[in-house]
Amino acid sequence: MGEMNLLKHELRLLFRQRLTSLSLMLLALLTVTSILAGIAEVDRQRADIAAIPAAQNEDISAIASWIDEDKDPGSAAYYSFHPTWDEPSPLAFAAIGMRDVSPYILRVRALSLEAQIYDGDTFNPELALPGQFDFAFVLVFLAPLFVIVLFHDLVSGEREARRARTLEALPRGGRALWRRRSALRFGLLWLVLAAPFTTTAIIENVGAAPIALILVTIAAYLFFWVGLAALIDRLRWSSVANAATLSAAWLVLVLIVPTLANVAINRAIPVNQGTEIAMANQEVVHGAWEIPREDTMERFYANHPRWSDSEPLGPDFHYKWYFAFHQNGDEAVAPQARAYRQGLEGRDAHARALGWVLPSVGVQALLTRIAGTDLTAQLAYQDRIRAFHERLRNFYYEYLFYDRPFGKDDFDRAPRFGSS
Amino acid sequence: MISNNAVISLSEMIVAYDALPVLDGLTLGVPAGSITALLGGNGAGKSTTLATLLGFVQARSGTVSVCGIDPAIDPDAARRKIAYLPENVALYDHLTAQENAEYLLALSDQKPDADAISRAFASAGLQEGAWRHRLGAFSKGMRQKVAIAVALLREVPVLLLDEPTSGLDPAATADFNALLSQVRDRGTAVLMVTHDLLSAADVADRIVFLESGQVTDDVAADGPDRFDVRALHARFQSARGPVAA
Repeated sequence: MGEMNLLKHELRLLFRQRLTSLSLMLLALLTVTSILAGIAEVDRQRADIAAIPAAQNEDISAIASWIDEDKDPGSAAYYSFHPTWDEPSPLAFAAIGMRDVSPYILRVRALSLEAQIYDGDTFNPELALPGQFDFAFVLVFLAPLFVIVLFHDLVSGEREARRARTLEALPRGGRALWRRRSALRFGLLWLVLAAPFTTTAIIENVGAAPIALILVTIAAYLFFWVGLAALIDRLRWSSVANAATLSAAWLVLVLIVPTLANVAINRAIPVNQGTEIAMANQEVVHGAWEIPREDTMERFYANHPRWSDSEPLGPDFHYKWYFAFHQNGDEAVAPQARAYRQGLEGRDAHARALGWVLPSVGVQALLTRIAGTDLTAQLAYQDRIRAFHERLRNFYYEYLFYDRPFGKDDFDRAPRFGSS
Repeated sequence: MISNNAVISLSEMIVAYDALPVLDGLTLGVPAGSITALLGGNGAGKSTTLATLLGFVQARSGTVSVCGIDPAIDPDAARRKIAYLPENVALYDHLTAQENAEYLLALSDQKPDADAISRAFASAGLQEGAWRHRLGAFSKGMRQKVAIAVALLREVPVLLLDEPTSGLDPAATADFNALLSQVRDRGTAVLMVTHDLLSAADVADRIVFLESGQVTDDVAADGPDRFDVRALHARFQSARGPVAA
């Protein structure tokens, strides 16, 4: 009874302080807004993905009739685009992660794949700098500021108002009082962040385990900042000095160190740009026009003996040669593509390791990992594209290398992304 | 000497901040139903005496007891027996007088009803119109009355006061002294520290002079005039030694 009564009084005291009430309301507003922004982004992506079948039918219909006239499989393979997509996870609304800078829909042709994949790397990097305004952003970057507002004067404020002695002289004052007030503020901050998140996550059909994990993550991250505030409060500085010190700590731990660490990791693990792979790929592909066609076919058959029983090239243009040098182009840059991927994974691994000592980095990495919006998810999507593209090539090659006519009905037999 | 019925007792107390002794063998007892004024200049050890009773500071040697409890060992238990009024009564400006009282009493594990709080405010002389007003516009005297009402409601055997009439106007001081006498008559042991001899002489049953952490004089009220203030002043001055020009 006593503890509940005290909590009731502490709540009244807390909400009568204008700065505290406004801070909590502002954090609630930012949390809800960030979640709504995340939902809007995810809904937009889902709508784009949902529109794919209709658009695909329209595209294929536009070429199917004239393809059907001369039944050339090369034209069918060359002119038809096939969509791939990366469906957002139910939790993507909370941490958009790489989904706002990396493509979540890629329409591929049976041509050289690397250039198609890495053309997506030519986004404006400035757009990626501030990051998406999502729940992860509010938690990682903004929530610590609210901890500072609510905790910087927890004890020092009472000292400065000359109430500390009065409170400490009461049986349930002193340390128990500071613990109670800390717990209350901590609980309110957690609630303001957790309640909108949990409600939305349930609506989005997120499983109980990821929700629980994120709720624990929110609590742990807040606890880190509350602990830091308590540590600084033990120095018995003024409230202004506490606030300044905590703000500096925020600047260092949330902005400066992660940025410097990112620069250091990027320098330690140099990675070529994806566009360089695309360009190298294009150079090999375009160079094929300058070399004897037989050389191209020889190289292709050496790597893909499955098609080597195809008729030799005649004097006229044949699409199988064209597609062969495209595939040769992919294979020529395969080591670069592997190195690029390993470099990205290496950087990601270092960033994750940094997360063990830098909570802001760790929380961000954890949220995007749980939400399936991190680099791992992005690379997994690329893997799915590559697997699909291989099926696509093999489908068209059956027609191309054996000179089988390709009618409009054959489009229906083309592999579909997402189906095996 | 400490009487056997002393509710507050300190014996041969030595308290030092670093190497500097603040209480230097202090022995003092305050019986129930009495008001003892502890008088002394700055640095005499008055506030440290209160801090020791509240368990805020640890003695280097000696014994201290509040209703038989050693505050150094069990400060929370000792504080349950003590109502403490600091020199500057600082309460929460954004709460009303009643809400302040409710909160401070909740921190004392008490939940009195609104009527009891109203009666205490009335006893403390706080005008009824002010009870449900926020403290932001209260004078020091009015704040003091809120705090004394809380002390009354706590109904504890010990009341510690730190410069209670400092900054109060004469009328408010008279009201406060009258209230203090009522508290004493209820059987509370009151220990007030002050540097104001006249204020002490007005209300105390006994005045203890403190200098450099030691008792230099101990005078009990006597007869209808209680204290001979001129004589007290002379003793006080001689105890403190000549004042440098």
